[in-house]
Amino acid sequence: MVALSRPRSNVAWVLFLVIGFSAVACAAAGCSRSGPAAGPISIGTAPKGASGDTLIEVRGLSGSELRSLDKANWDNQATWESLLHVSIGDNQPVAVAGRHVVTATTLEFVPSFPFDPGRTYTVRFDPAQLPTPRNETVVTAHVRLPVPNRGPATEVTAIFPSGDVWPENMLRFYVHFSAPMSRTQGVKFIQLVDSAGKEIPDAILAAYADLWNDDGTRLTVFFDPGRVKRGVGPNVAMGRAMVQGKRYAIRIDPAWPDGYGQPLASGFRREFTAGAAAYDAIDLKDWRISIPKAGSTDPLQVRFPAPLDHALLDRAIGVRKPGIQILAGRTATVDHEKSWTFTPATPWVADTYELAVLTLLEDPAGNKVGQPFEVLPNTPREPPPPEVATIPFQVK
Amino acid sequence: MRTSLKLAAVLAVVLAAASTPTATRLVPTAVAPSLSSIGPLAFGPTGVLYAADRNAATIFALDLGAQASGAAGTASVAKLDEQIAAMLGTTPADITVVDLAVHPTSHNSFIAVTRGQGADAKPALVRVDGAGKVSLVSFDTMTFTSVALPNPAAVSPNGRGGRTQSVTDMALMDGRLVVAGLSNEEFASKLWSVAYPFTTADRGTSVEIYHGNHGAIETRSPVMTFLPYGAGAQAQVIAAYTCTPLVRFQLGALKAGEKVVGHTMMDLGAGNQPIDMLRYSKGGQDFLLMANSRHGIVKVPTAQFATLPAITAKVDTAGAFEKVASMPGVVQLDLLDAQRSVSIAQAQPNGPRDLNVTALP
Repeated sequence: MVALSRPRSNVAWVLFLVIGFSAVACAAAGCSRSGPAAGPISIGTAPKGASGDTLIEVRGLSGSELRSLDKANWDNQATWESLLHVSIGDNQPVAVAGRHVVTATTLEFVPSFPFDPGRTYTVRFDPAQLPTPRNETVVTAHVRLPVPNRGPATEVTAIFPSGDVWPENMLRFYVHFSAPMSRTQGVKFIQLVDSAGKEIPDAILAAYADLWNDDGTRLTVFFDPGRVKRGVGPNVAMGRAMVQGKRYAIRIDPAWPDGYGQPLASGFRREFTAGAAAYDAIDLKDWRISIPKAGSTDPLQVRFPAPLDHALLDRAIGVRKPGIQILAGRTATVDHEKSWTFTPATPWVADTYELAVLTLLEDPAGNKVGQPFEVLPNTPREPPPPEVATIPFQVK
Repeated sequence: MRTSLKLAAVLAVVLAAASTPTATRLVPTAVAPSLSSIGPLAFGPTGVLYAADRNAATIFALDLGAQASGAAGTASVAKLDEQIAAMLGTTPADITVVDLAVHPTSHNSFIAVTRGQGADAKPALVRVDGAGKVSLVSFDTMTFTSVALPNPAAVSPNGRGGRTQSVTDMALMDGRLVVAGLSNEEFASKLWSVAYPFTTADRGTSVEIYHGNHGAIETRSPVMTFLPYGAGAQAQVIAAYTCTPLVRFQLGALKAGEKVVGHTMMDLGAGNQPIDMLRYSKGGQDFLLMANSRHGIVKVPTAQFATLPAITAKVDTAGAFEKVASMPGVVQLDLLDAQRSVSIAQAQPNGPRDLNVTALP
């Protein structure tokens, strides 16, 4: 097996592998017409178009052989695969899916999915399967794209909530990474442990869904809602995973593979204390707004009585003039998610503004604006709040 | 498959009342859909394949054309994941099976797969036919329409930030595609529906579903899998949630913007995720067959649904059901025909994933 480097251009062949060849008479190969003359069959790789993905090329076919292949226009994939077969391993009968393309000089195999770096593919070309068969042995080559030189480098950068006290009925938390992670079931690398370092079983919900952000740098992790919610079977049978006043930690296993298949550079441990359960809906009347002066670009600051969800704070609050487009500016979540600030891109003017709040905003226990996570029996049923609630304020 | 659609044609669904399109101009058909991710899947009664693209927050309606059918039916395939991986040029460890759906007329099985990990992961659609032949379905010449999932209103200069929207289940019901999903941020329990064929004006409507739990406390939770159930004025949705209440609610209650409280009629117990549900008849009785992460395959007689009271007592499980020990490790399940199911099962941890055609229990 020989490793092939990724060529830099369409014409740059880095390596040819010539495994079998027997001389072919020019007349037999039909080289009297235009196109390359028949030569030894060789197999190599080349980049594919603008994407730079790698394809496999078979060279040594004569112009006549290539034209007859093009004319044959086989619509049966199995016929193509009997001629040029690409597979994982020597004994794998299943061919890698892809297209066989006849060019003026080569027969190409374009895989449906890019070849994996570091993986060995077996390429088998059988000259006896040409439309005009060559009486030659099967040519076999092994190709392998180089593996980028990477070691363990990705780290856990943060876990939110960032505060030291988490409500004992907490619903979810977020794990942030320095680089994209693999989309494997990440929760098997996350443990809730007690102060002695012993894992608390069935605390974290497994196999929920793909809860990564778009670039795979943040995972949403749920505590098992069945243990969080009062009166549900698991809650009754096992109680909550966390008990108010006790010390816990979230432990991240360094074996968790990142987007390149590498383990984390190190494990991660984040300690906290379980606090009182949070049962109340978020009430905007409890928020305190510090209003900046007109003419300044000082930040507007909003303070909450208890921490709110870090991710939702990033997108569920904005500032606007009533009925007008949301102002551009920079937001920040500070004081362990108990405060949110907005720094406008242009100075404040003396006018009426409003804070626009998506009522889907939640605290870490799932309580929303105007709607607690759990509605107790015999509670008057409130109509759902509007999608956006507002708090007007005056800049002077 | 995440849902049985055989009932769709006979359901008189009231969801349509939730939204009336203001224009009927259809979304134009295009060729060669570019999916950035795939799954779940659901077939409509005429063979349109609905495929959710989580990364693009879009539902594609795919016309499979000639690729809808190989040899009729589906045959069992041992070590299916190894065959798929070999075909996609990788190893089984780098193959994620996302969903399984059976074509309504060819009865070929279609499997949504993610090839690879991390940012370079790619979606693939695979077909298994009645001869057990495993084929890669090409998107290159396929015609399609699509519709974007709704996004919450934008009030922040940060746009939607890190929010993503996963689809957990879909079903076509009386001309409307009903979609259950969950966000990686807000913990909502919404069903979203949109008319099919997709129109340029209809952005769909959402309703939020609550369910009472054992202590009669109402709460919300994402629907993991659901099933159309009943017909006409009695048309209902049976929805299964994490840890594992089985809730039913009247379709007629699904009015846009309203809060709907479902009737929690069964609970399959703790630490469990429902995966798939199908409905079938055997020996003159009607059953649900559910695949679960911890409890495996569970067979539920549906005759009790008419009389089961709402659960108010604090018990571990409620309602009559039977565990089916002969189908271990099922991770995907669908109805193949009136007598058989098709499933993807990993009987041993880290063992191969097989495609099994099995007589209904």
